[in-house]
Amino acid sequence: MSNTIFLNGKESPDAVETHHHVSPASHYVVVLMALFVLTGLTYAVSFADLGPLSLPVAIFVAVIKASLVVAFFMHLKYDDKYNLFVFLGTLIFIGIFFGFTLFDLQARDALNDEQRTFVRREEQRNAGEVLQVGISNDPTRLAEYEAAHPGHGEAHGGDGEAHGEGEAAEGGAAEH
Amino acid sequence: MSNATHAAHHTTGEHNPHLAHHFDTMGQQAGAAKLGMWLFLATELLMFSGLFLAYFVIRGFYPDMVLGAHEYLSKTAGGINTCVLLFSSWTMAMAVRAAQVGRPNNAEDSAKIKKYLLLTLLCAGIFLVVKYFEYSAKFEHGMLPGKFYTAHLHGYEIEGLPHIFFGIYFFMTGLHGVHVVVGMGIMIWIYMRASRGEFSAQNYAGVENAGLYWHLVDLVWIFLFPLLYLVK
Repeated sequence: MSNTIFLNGKESPDAVETHHHVSPASHYVVVLMALFVLTGLTYAVSFADLGPLSLPVAIFVAVIKASLVVAFFMHLKYDDKYNLFVFLGTLIFIGIFFGFTLFDLQARDALNDEQRTFVRREEQRNAGEVLQVGISNDPTRLAEYEAAHPGHGEAHGGDGEAHGEGEAAEGGAAEH
Repeated sequence: MSNATHAAHHTTGEHNPHLAHHFDTMGQQAGAAKLGMWLFLATELLMFSGLFLAYFVIRGFYPDMVLGAHEYLSKTAGGINTCVLLFSSWTMAMAVRAAQVGRPNNAEDSAKIKKYLLLTLLCAGIFLVVKYFEYSAKFEHGMLPGKFYTAHLHGYEIEGLPHIFFGIYFFMTGLHGVHVVVGMGIMIWIYMRASRGEFSAQNYAGVENAGLYWHLVDLVWIFLFPLLYLVK
């Protein structure tokens, strides 16, 4: 080979080669048995009433099982570190994906209540102020909707008589 | 593949007929193939992670509905399939090992690779048969996604919005099932190549990469099973 590769200052003739590693067959049997035992454990735990702990416990056992498969069956424990880097890099991106989406999910209610940016119809209906999303802020569409649903005015907080332009303004006002 | 003078050839005397001309050594070729496989597996993981996230979001929105609806999935069928897939992962790992220690052009060693591949294929078949019975029971009871949901007409009252749960159930297990079917196709292809005596300690990247794919299918199921079938 014309170009010699140096690693840590030393000449490395087989730097570009993948490394053979043959695990003894007994290792695979042990890993398989461990996987069966852990499956039995998840199965048994699902009948025990752990309350809010059940999801973290189930995920924890699944992570151990997945690590066994990745490390031994998929050889990442003995493989070139570059493949491990690809795998762990993927997990980091999945972590970002999950983390930010779940943060959003948790913060969403508080933000909606504070800024009223998102209309939750059921809750407002229960509170007596019905807002039809996309209708209440458009006078012509509201008038059409009111005409098509005569019973609708009852729950609107108004007296149920005044349909039309006046109510459209009222509906718009209730939103803010 | 060039049979012309290979002056740049670095390892002495090694000239494997399976070595592509743009690689220097078999080790380099196998390493490149495996890195490519891991990059592909990364995209697979990212694809499935979207579905898992959808599951967690739905669970966050409707915890009671998910807990109520998941009771209608068969824990036994899911458990059997988990064991079948784990066992098939072992047979696949053994197939790779048989190739790693195989002597070139040795019928006995090739037969060993083929035996483990057949066992893996058999397990994949059992998995799909069990899945078929599970799916047909869900179809029969009208426990289907979205507008196809008719379980209430069959006498099953599930609280909340179970058609959403069965949507995510069918999407996740369905995509996983497609991967099992594809895996069977790959296994048949590798089996045919093993029959031609292609694989040995000098050349086993094909078996190894098929194995990596199959273990990923197992990996996804390891998370699917507790989340969909078991969790309370």
